[in-house]
Amino acid sequence: MSLVRKLKPDRNITGAIYPLSMLPIFGTITLLFGYTTGFFALSIMIALFGLFYLYVYFRTMNAYLLVICAESGFLSLLLALMYVNSPIGNGRFMPSPFDKIEYGLSYFSGLVFFGIVIVFLTLTRKLKWRGREVFELAAEPVEESGDGYTPRPRPVGTVAYTMKDIHNFARFCASHQIALPYITSKNITLVPIKMGEEFSRLLGLSGDYRDATWINFDVSGEVSVHIAHKDYLDYREPLPFDQLCTAFGQVFIDFLELFKKGEGVRVVDRLDDLKIGILS
Amino acid sequence: MDFHTAAQYASLLSRDYAEDIFRLLVNYQAISASEVAARLNLHIKTAQDFLESLEQLGILSKEEVLEKKRPYYRYILKKTRLIIDIDLAQVKRELSKNSLTAYIRERENAGARFSVARGDDYITSVTIWTGDGREREERKIKLTTPQGKFLFYLPFPRAEPLTVDEIMQKAGIDPNLAPEIVDMVQLLEKYNVIETVHGK
Repeated sequence: MSLVRKLKPDRNITGAIYPLSMLPIFGTITLLFGYTTGFFALSIMIALFGLFYLYVYFRTMNAYLLVICAESGFLSLLLALMYVNSPIGNGRFMPSPFDKIEYGLSYFSGLVFFGIVIVFLTLTRKLKWRGREVFELAAEPVEESGDGYTPRPRPVGTVAYTMKDIHNFARFCASHQIALPYITSKNITLVPIKMGEEFSRLLGLSGDYRDATWINFDVSGEVSVHIAHKDYLDYREPLPFDQLCTAFGQVFIDFLELFKKGEGVRVVDRLDDLKIGILS
Repeated sequence: MDFHTAAQYASLLSRDYAEDIFRLLVNYQAISASEVAARLNLHIKTAQDFLESLEQLGILSKEEVLEKKRPYYRYILKKTRLIIDIDLAQVKRELSKNSLTAYIRERENAGARFSVARGDDYITSVTIWTGDGREREERKIKLTTPQGKFLFYLPFPRAEPLTVDEIMQKAGIDPNLAPEIVDMVQLLEKYNVIETVHGK
């Protein structure tokens, strides 16, 4: 397999900004109101982070995401326990929680457990959004240089499937974080999400999903593709847009065929074989 | 009757005072512009222009008379029945042979925005920007459903162009709707959104 990437290297840190932003907020609150309030605010922020992942779990049904929820809940609880009497306000801050052997043991055992599990899940790509792989795979057969971008969607053909097939396929794509499904009575639209884009997309900060890159399966078997300009510009070369859309559609049609044959695991293997960085 | 003449008839008949003037014309054997103006409390120029227009359309005839050596016209109604008869088939676009066989595709960097229907495979409108600077204007072209379906299947820039007929077949559009499709194609060609590829 060719290791020449058609996508530009990922230098986007947007995905890291959301969790990292907890630190300056914690610092600012500590500076303004003292470290007791700062830790409590951090506990709330981590709990919210866990809740967000709980929402992502319900949206994708990727059970591995529950580990992040559990870890966030655990950390949030430990921080909240620093108060002798929760909740905030009347609580007195534990002078040195690590003087308590129970607290220290709980903290380190939890840290080791969740640390190992999350590193394992990250390395095995169980938590990875595979949008970047989809774009790379779509560009593989597109060789010549071209351009011709248009914001119009492109019909890529008619495929035989039942709505049950496509519903199951959408669930499969969601649970393996290949694409996020948007389901209406007439269509199922799959929106591939790259690592780092999940927060803005799932929090609804990226605007309408119809403006993003998507592939649409309608009730009559018509398949159409739309590639967002931002994603098109992410390729190193100006690829012939018509061919790129066709190839993009074909990638999902092939995935659907494999999935219908009960070989969904091959889809994940094909994407993981591209060996794209685990954080990009 | 051609469309232009019918429009002139309609324009005159739509005036507020038209019915009153016709009432005078029907009841008087001959009447001058100043008499009409005085009778209906109109400006003489208004009455004069109206009567002249009717005369040019052949509804009235006029005869010159002299009063104290000053000539003026008296108008006589020539017919008491006005029939506006337009054959709209006259304005129907006749499709030329090559309007359906021309190879077309979207023009590169057309700068148009296509709005896609929610939950269906067709384009609802095309937004085009014309002019520069302060003169820049937005024009939104609303499409009928067949036009939107046609545009959905229009080949991309640099893609292999297709004939209008082929695109209509792909989009499943009834051939009887060809005139409205060709009309939209010509409009979008004018705005440089669609290009015709010659030499195919």
